[in-house]
Amino acid sequence: MKEKDKENREVEKTFISGLHEELKEDKVIDESELELDFPKEIRKYGGKDVMTCLQCGNCTGVCPISLKIDYKTRSIIKYCQFGLKKYTLATRWVCATCYRCYEHCPADINPAEVMIALRHIAVREGIIPPFVKTAAANLVKYGQSVKPDAEISKIRKELGLPQIESEDPEYAKVIREIGVLVRASKYDQLIGIQEEVKQ
Amino acid sequence: MTAPAPQEKGTTTEPPMKTPGSGAGPRIGVFICHCGSNIAGVVDCGKVREDSSGLPGVVVAMENKYTCSDLGQEEIIKAIKENKLERVVVASCSPRLHEPTFRKCIQQAGLNPYLLHMVNIREQCSWVHSQEKAKATEKAADLVRMGVSKAARLEPLEAREVPVEPVSLVVGGGVAGIQAALDLANMGFKVYLVEKEPSIGGKMAQLDKTFPTGDCAICILAPKMVELSRNPNITLLSYSEVEEVKGYIGSYAVKVRRKARFVHEDKCVGCGLCADVCSVKVDNEFDLGFGKRKAIYVPFPQAVPLKFTIDKEHCTHFKSGKCLLCVKACTNQAIDHQMQDEIVELKVGTIIVATGYDTYVPKKKGVYKYWEYENVITALELERLVNAAGPTGGHLIRPSDGQTPRRVAFIQCVGSRNKKIGNDYCSRVCCMYAMKNAQIIKEHEPETEIAVYYNDIRAFGKGFEELYHRIREDYLVEFIRGRPAKLSLNPKTKSIKIRAEETLLNKITEREFDLVVLSTGLVPAEGSKRIGKILSLTTSPDGFFMEAHPKLRPVDTAMDGIYLAGCAQSPKDIPDSVAQAKAAAASAAVPMSAKKVTIEPLTATVDEDLCVGCGLCTELCPYGAPELVQSEKGGSKARVIEALCHGCGTCAASCPQKAIITRQFTDEQIYSELQAALEGPHRQPSRKKVEVSG
Repeated sequence: MKEKDKENREVEKTFISGLHEELKEDKVIDESELELDFPKEIRKYGGKDVMTCLQCGNCTGVCPISLKIDYKTRSIIKYCQFGLKKYTLATRWVCATCYRCYEHCPADINPAEVMIALRHIAVREGIIPPFVKTAAANLVKYGQSVKPDAEISKIRKELGLPQIESEDPEYAKVIREIGVLVRASKYDQLIGIQEEVKQ
Repeated sequence: MTAPAPQEKGTTTEPPMKTPGSGAGPRIGVFICHCGSNIAGVVDCGKVREDSSGLPGVVVAMENKYTCSDLGQEEIIKAIKENKLERVVVASCSPRLHEPTFRKCIQQAGLNPYLLHMVNIREQCSWVHSQEKAKATEKAADLVRMGVSKAARLEPLEAREVPVEPVSLVVGGGVAGIQAALDLANMGFKVYLVEKEPSIGGKMAQLDKTFPTGDCAICILAPKMVELSRNPNITLLSYSEVEEVKGYIGSYAVKVRRKARFVHEDKCVGCGLCADVCSVKVDNEFDLGFGKRKAIYVPFPQAVPLKFTIDKEHCTHFKSGKCLLCVKACTNQAIDHQMQDEIVELKVGTIIVATGYDTYVPKKKGVYKYWEYENVITALELERLVNAAGPTGGHLIRPSDGQTPRRVAFIQCVGSRNKKIGNDYCSRVCCMYAMKNAQIIKEHEPETEIAVYYNDIRAFGKGFEELYHRIREDYLVEFIRGRPAKLSLNPKTKSIKIRAEETLLNKITEREFDLVVLSTGLVPAEGSKRIGKILSLTTSPDGFFMEAHPKLRPVDTAMDGIYLAGCAQSPKDIPDSVAQAKAAAASAAVPMSAKKVTIEPLTATVDEDLCVGCGLCTELCPYGAPELVQSEKGGSKARVIEALCHGCGTCAASCPQKAIITRQFTDEQIYSELQAALEGPHRQPSRKKVEVSG
């Protein structure tokens, strides 16, 4: 398991931070790096009006994430318009889809849905942050994306919440059903968790 | 003129004409235009010509590179004479542009101009099907076949002339209305100018200086206002509103409500003794609430007419029946609290609509906190605060404490370019007035720190880019590219912190300002909806009045004899408003100089024998053309006022008795086109005959 974590960190470094650093370097972006059909692809996955963005930056200003870390909604949309697919797909999966950007956008576009579309595309390209794999595997194995453990049980108890009855036959049935759905829809293959969720 | 006989009602339409040469049907010529490569680049014109030459009645079919050129028209004239053509079909562009051209052309050859039919194989064919050439050719052939079938059924029509009253009505007394009225009056026409406020001048009178040259707005406007009031050809009806307009180009009957101002205009000399004694003080609308006025007032010192008006809502006499201090003070007995609204009836030939604009008012719950923070003001409010004749004598203060602001921010595109509030358009003036205001502030207080939060700068006019450069070079105004996301108040200092992404730095910034000015956009004037309804004007999606053609008829409306000037049509700056006003005056002068106007005969006509007088047509017509009249044969019958009718066909389509015929679009003509559409060589042979309902 330790080894797995290490591997995950490697993935994170290569895909996410690495590309990010690369983009920050002072170098000319060559035409060959641009994928001009990228906006079309984003539209296909639900980011319908990525090209109508005026780049006013209102979304960045209202984004609770943009305030805290180097993640600028407007700038990601610009990369999309420009066709810098490689870098765009490497952005961190931090958008909480709170839709504040949509609420404030004067061009009436929905940046949050662009972010979701980017995730769809990233997954299909195999660029999957390790935490997504972990959460997906947890869902299949335990019926929830956070792995239940003694620590969580303790907190639940303190908060006066009921314990999770994973021994309950009903509960086990639900988990079985999730497994069936995940395999039938080939979600496990898409996200790369076949090994973890093998029956 | 006579109406075309309602032919063969209730029968199936078999083409009445025989093969060419037999002499039974009209002899038709077909002219197919290449329009350079606009049509020929997609449609195989040769094939269309071959197909059409075999159609019933067609004696000649030819192609031209540009049919509308002199050469192309010559060929049509020659073909008409050589082949004794009786009907002409031109397959080219939209009839909107060149129908008049070709009508004149065939008239030169001796044909009635209405024996022309245009088939649109450009906008409706080659341009929209540029990717499917074979299918486009097939469609073009179909359209030409339909056109030929209709052409065979065309009837000669005669255009009619109506006289034009050489009097014009100008609605709205802003700079556009003033200019239009002056130009027409100087051409020698009588003009009535109706203004709803007590004084003319409009929004321009409220402005401080004008961009990009910095001329004082009222200094250049006031002489025009005075000139207008002294022009003997102009009757100024201030504090008045248009109530009703009936009629058509040449003779509009207009009812104007002269609101009671409780002061006799002929007696008042504008001395102001009345206002001196008046004890009621209220916010002056002209100063947007920053200054005060009395209940008897002129809105601003340069007002035209310089006549006082009593504000009925606030006057003590109207509240308690007492006071009358003003009456005692007036040495001319001009004040009359018993005055009533008065209706004036006018007869005019043309109307110019110059109803102007309102500035956008930010939403109550909007992010820019206009309604919550005192120190957030709109640009028009700033105009009053920096105006030498304004409530502060031109000294810029911030509303919360009357102190001079040291740091001022402008926020651009408030109420413009915003799909969320439904104003998609650019208001065209905000970039420049913000720069101009920044310059004025810097001139007053050179130490002021000014930042402009913008999305895009549009400095497109003459001298605009130079101003943009100047205010950065000489006045060091800072431009921040980003739309503010959040405004928050410092409760102690009442200053406002703006959070925005500086998009060019890719960083979120937070800065504090003493005063925030919202560069609010322009929206259609509140009263324009009412005027639009009275005059049956259409609006574009932005709510401003729609011009007849965006390029070629930018000051005309769809209603003949009604013209647009200034911001009633779209947001514009002063030079553009004045230019359009001059254009509108020139356009209105055309029919008034000619003293008569030709009315299109493509109108609806009623068969009185069939009409039962139900009145459906009078309710449905968007132009108010049909009216019910007492018939000699008894009972009420519909009659169409031809000068008002646009030939849209709404009445004809809806008439339950089929008593209404739209000339050139008779049922018979339309069904023959449909029939022809289904008769193409590529169509399935097993088809139903189109029945003419009746």
